[in-house]
Amino acid sequence: MKETCGKVGRTTFLLLAGIARIWELGSEVGRFFLTSFVRPKTIPRETFFRQMVLIGIDSTAIVSLVGAAVGTVLALQAAYSLKTFGAVMYTGSLVGVAMARELGPLIAAIVICGRIGARMAAELGTMRVQEEVDALTTMAINPVRFLVLPRVLALAIMLPCLSVIADVMGMLGGYLIGITGLGINSYVYISKTIDALVLKDIYTGLAKSFIFSILIALVSCHQGLTVSGGADAVGKATTQAVVISIVLIIVVDCLATAVIYYALPT
Amino acid sequence: MAQPIIEIKNLIKKFGDRTVLDGVHAVIPEGKITVIMGGSGCGKSTLLRHLIGLHRPTSGEVWVDGKNIAGLDEPGMNDVRKKFGMLFQGSALFNSMTVGENVAVPLKEHTDLSPEIIRIIVRVKLELVGLTGFENFMPHEISGGMKKRVALARAIALDPKIVFYDEPGAGLDPITASMIDRLILDLSKKLSITSVVVTHEMKSAFRIADQIIILQKGKVLQVGTAEDIQNSTNAYVQQFIQGEPEGAIPFKQTSEAYLKGLLDT
Ligand SMILES: Nc1ncnc2c1ncn2[C@@H]1O[C@H](COP(=O)(O)OP(=O)(O)OP(=O)(O)O)[C@@H](O)[C@H]1O
Ligand SMILES: [Mg+2]
Repeated sequence: MKETCGKVGRTTFLLLAGIARIWELGSEVGRFFLTSFVRPKTIPRETFFRQMVLIGIDSTAIVSLVGAAVGTVLALQAAYSLKTFGAVMYTGSLVGVAMARELGPLIAAIVICGRIGARMAAELGTMRVQEEVDALTTMAINPVRFLVLPRVLALAIMLPCLSVIADVMGMLGGYLIGITGLGINSYVYISKTIDALVLKDIYTGLAKSFIFSILIALVSCHQGLTVSGGADAVGKATTQAVVISIVLIIVVDCLATAVIYYALPT
Repeated sequence: MAQPIIEIKNLIKKFGDRTVLDGVHAVIPEGKITVIMGGSGCGKSTLLRHLIGLHRPTSGEVWVDGKNIAGLDEPGMNDVRKKFGMLFQGSALFNSMTVGENVAVPLKEHTDLSPEIIRIIVRVKLELVGLTGFENFMPHEISGGMKKRVALARAIALDPKIVFYDEPGAGLDPITASMIDRLILDLSKKLSITSVVVTHEMKSAFRIADQIIILQKGKVLQVGTAEDIQNSTNAYVQQFIQGEPEGAIPFKQTSEAYLKGLLDT
């Protein structure tokens, strides 16, 4: 019993300390971002554009694929249940709302977490181990500004875009199943989808996705920069980056949904 | 001797309860080549990392160009760092950038030069280290010795006053190693750059050094010119420069101590 308490206490402490460090990194990035309005050179352009391409272009296919698959499954499952109420034609509304509010941002975030978060942690971790980060410091170049800032910005721009792609692909997947497999009229499906969706669904989804992007980038960069040791430490940091980001994404998603749909006035 | 540009006063560094530097006193003269030597693990790299502000001393002072960097904050330290170049033991090139981009990093970050001018400077610096035409290679496409030279080109990109070298010749063939020695000499003589070189290579140390500092167990054992060191009467110094396994520092512990050590654990 005592042991369990000790363990829980220690874990909680580590968790809080970790969050505090990520917060610290985040505020440093924030400061540099503000500086960049006065001094545009603050943002290292090449890295920024390279990351945008890496995240945006190279991940579009996989995000589309997963988005479409989830939309399809969702339509099949929804129709199966809705049939009992004779409401199969509402499949489109359900898929549309679920994708825009929840699944699109979440799917994009999780795919990107595995693809880009892991990569950031491994890349920065290797740089730390091979003294590249020290080399930056000795050149009087702040590693947070040079390495973390462009990654956070690139992800913050690209993840919301990707989540819109996931939304659209999910709805498309649902639509195709709806009109072919479920026999819903194409016009009915589309009009039900449009009726159900309101602007709020879209922008809350985008806001969430923006928050997720900051989380993924900060956690992954932090894991990478704090590596100490050799190749195994880099491997560990990479795994940690993905696990911690996914847990944080889910937790923040719960909180954000609770706040947006229950605490805020409608 | 010339004016001192770096003065280390009673520098102590502890990692946890292990004392790695134990009261180092040293003076590094401006425009000269100072070589730091000593056995593996005696604290050479640690000493170097204090001079460039990567480690903070547990106690003591490090005066660089008239400033005690032990007491400086990050922005103050960065002003001092702009006068430095540093060649890391493992080159530390940025692996995601080409050779040319690597050399251009300090220029892009710390000057407002146009890209064309930067390209010219990069070419000049690469020429200086004998790597003309390698701008567009990636670091993994060139050999270890070439990486060292690119790292040197990057270190001198901003025309620093002081360049630090951590084992510049380690892992290189004798010809490449002596070419690097040649570069260090050239930089020092032609551009009167102060050089601080950590090395194990006895030959190269005697070839380039104006002053040699020998460290042992975190303390300065002897300071002097190459000649002083060669004629030293200190048994450890003699053993070190002769490279003999037996002598003042035994390679093996005595058999009793060894047995005791085995049984103790
Ligand atoms: N960050 C650190 N944390 C703990 N101990 C360290 C750290 N850095 C160095 N040390 C210890 O300090 C001692 C001196 O290390 P240092 O790297 O300065 O040796 P060195 O003289 O450069 O050796 P070599 O010639 O092998 O490069 C070593 O025993 C090392 O274990
Ligand atoms: Mg060393």
